[in-house]
Amino acid sequence: MAQSTKKSKSKLWFLVHSWLALPIWFFVLIVCFTGMLAVVSQEIVWLANSDVRASKPSDGAERLSFQQIIDALHKAEPDMAVRMLVQPEGSHFALAASVTNPDGTTPTLYVNPYTGVIQGKAPDFNFEAFTRALHGWWLVPFTNGYSWGWYLVSLLGLPMLASLVTGLVVYKKFWRGFFKPVRSGHGSRIFWGDVHRLAGVWSIWFITVISITGIWFLIQAILGDNHITISSEPIVPVIAREDVPLTADGSPAPRIDLDAAARIATEAIPGLEITFISLPSTAYSHVEMGGRGWYPLMFQTASVNPYTSNVDSKFLLEDRSALEFVTESMRPLHTGDFGGLAIKLIWFFFGLVLTLMVLSGLLIWTKRTAQATAAALKRTDRVARAQPARSETSVEAQP
Amino acid sequence: MSKAQAVQVSPLKQFWLKWRFHINILLILIPLGFMPKYFADAAMFRGDSGLGANQVSDIQVGPYTLDLAELRDEAPRADGPAGHFKLFNAALCKACTTEVKAVYLRIGKPRSLRAAGTIFFGAPYRMITSLPVPPRTRSDAQVWITIEGWDGSMHQASVPLAQASPATVAWLEKQGGTK
Repeated sequence: MAQSTKKSKSKLWFLVHSWLALPIWFFVLIVCFTGMLAVVSQEIVWLANSDVRASKPSDGAERLSFQQIIDALHKAEPDMAVRMLVQPEGSHFALAASVTNPDGTTPTLYVNPYTGVIQGKAPDFNFEAFTRALHGWWLVPFTNGYSWGWYLVSLLGLPMLASLVTGLVVYKKFWRGFFKPVRSGHGSRIFWGDVHRLAGVWSIWFITVISITGIWFLIQAILGDNHITISSEPIVPVIAREDVPLTADGSPAPRIDLDAAARIATEAIPGLEITFISLPSTAYSHVEMGGRGWYPLMFQTASVNPYTSNVDSKFLLEDRSALEFVTESMRPLHTGDFGGLAIKLIWFFFGLVLTLMVLSGLLIWTKRTAQATAAALKRTDRVARAQPARSETSVEAQP
Repeated sequence: MSKAQAVQVSPLKQFWLKWRFHINILLILIPLGFMPKYFADAAMFRGDSGLGANQVSDIQVGPYTLDLAELRDEAPRADGPAGHFKLFNAALCKACTTEVKAVYLRIGKPRSLRAAGTIFFGAPYRMITSLPVPPRTRSDAQVWITIEGWDGSMHQASVPLAQASPATVAWLEKQGGTK
C-alpha cells in the first residue's frame, strides 16, 4: 500500500519533470545554445579577427598609458573625437576605443595597446552583441522598459529550477550517479537516458546558478519596469558652473589629461584598478573610470573633476549594501566573465552539457512515447475486442 | 480488426498528438521577424543611417550652425514618474566645435542660461539629449536651442516642435483630448 503511493507519487514527479521543458523544448534548446555561444563570443571574435588581438611589436614592448593612446589616436585621426577607452579582460585583447567621426558615425576601433595603432574597426555585424541579444531578449526591441523578449527568456529560469528539483526527486539515489558509465549497447533510449542522468548530476551546481541568476533577471525587469531601485550608487552631480573656468578668448578651459586623472584616482582610492576610462561627455562632466575590485564580480568606479582635480564621486566595494553584493553578483555568475578564460571555458562546457540535456530529454521522451503509444495501442486493441468504447489513456508519463 | 479502427482517432487529432510539442519551433519566428529591426537599430546607433529622423539642418544659432534630428520618428516615451521623454540628436558645425562649451534643448524659451534645458552629451559631431515633454505642451510650441560659449556668451534659436518632431505633436494633440 505504502509502496504503491510512493510509486504513484514518483510517477507524478516524473510527469511534472517531463512537462516542464517538453512543450517549449526548442525554445529552451536555442536559449541554452546561444547562451553557450555568448559566453565565449569574445574569444570567438578574437580567433576570427586579428584586429582584436593585442600583438606585441617586440618582446620588451611596454603598454602605453591611456593618454598616450589618446595622443596616438589624435595623431592618426586629428578630427576624430574619442569618447571612451576600454581594456577588455585579458591582455591578449586590443583596446576598444569608442569614437565619433566628423561625419557623425560612432564606430568602435580596435587599438594596439603597445603602439596605439588603429588595427581596425568593429564590423557592422557585431557577433558578441548579436548572440547576447538573441540569448537575452530574443531580439525583441526595448521600447517601453524591458522588452517582452527579456521576460520570455528570463521566465525560463523558473521551469529550469523546477526541472532540477523534480529531476533529483525522480532520480533515485542520484548522488551515486556521478561515476555510472553510460550504457551504449542497449539501444538509444537507454543510452540517452544514461547521458541525461550523468550530465544532470554533474550539472547540479551549474543549473542552480543559471536558473537562479535567470530568475534574478526576471526580478530585475519587474523591479525596473515598476521603477523600484535597490541601488546605493550615488548619482554624480554635474560639475558646478563656477568650477568651470571662463576663458576670455573663447577657447576650451584647460582640463587635466587622462593619465593625471587616473593617477589622482588611484592615489585617492587604494586598490582601484582602471580598465575603462571615459572622457567628459559634456563641459560639466567628469572623467569617469573604473575596473574590477578584489571581489572580481563587481566593479569600482570613480569620477574625477577635470578642472579641480578632485575625486568628486566614487562607488567602491565597501559602499555596497549586503543586498547589492548578492544582486550585482548575479549577472557575472550567469555569464561567467569574472575570472578570465578558464572560468569562461567551464561555463561554455556546462552550457554545452545543458544544451545536450534538453536534447537528450527530448529524445528520451520521443522514444519512450513511441514505445508507450505502441503498447497502449496494443492494449486498446485488446480492450476494444473485449469491451468496446473505452476512453483513451494518457501515455506520455510512462517512466 | 486494424489498430486504427480500434482507437478511432481522427486524423486531425492524430496530427495534433504527433506535432503538439513541436509547435514551439514557431517561436523562432519572433527573432527572425525582429532581425531587420535589430540590424537597422544597430546601424542607427552607429550613426550609419544619419543623424536621425526629421532632420532640421543648418539652424543658425548666433554665429554657429547646428543640425537637429529626433532619434526616432515616434511619440515621446514614458519613463515612470519622471514623465515623458524624447531623444534628440544634434551635430555642430565642424568649425565651431572648439568654441562651443555646451548645447541645451528646451520646449519654450528659457529665461536664463541656468534654465536652458537639457544638456547635449557626447562628441560635437553627434550629441544626444533626452528632452522632457510635458503632456500639456501646446502643439504650436517651439523647441529652443541654447548654445553656451567657453567665453560665457549665450546664443539662442528655435524651431517649431511640429517640424522637429511631428510625432510628438500628434501625441500631444491626442493627450489634449484625454487630459
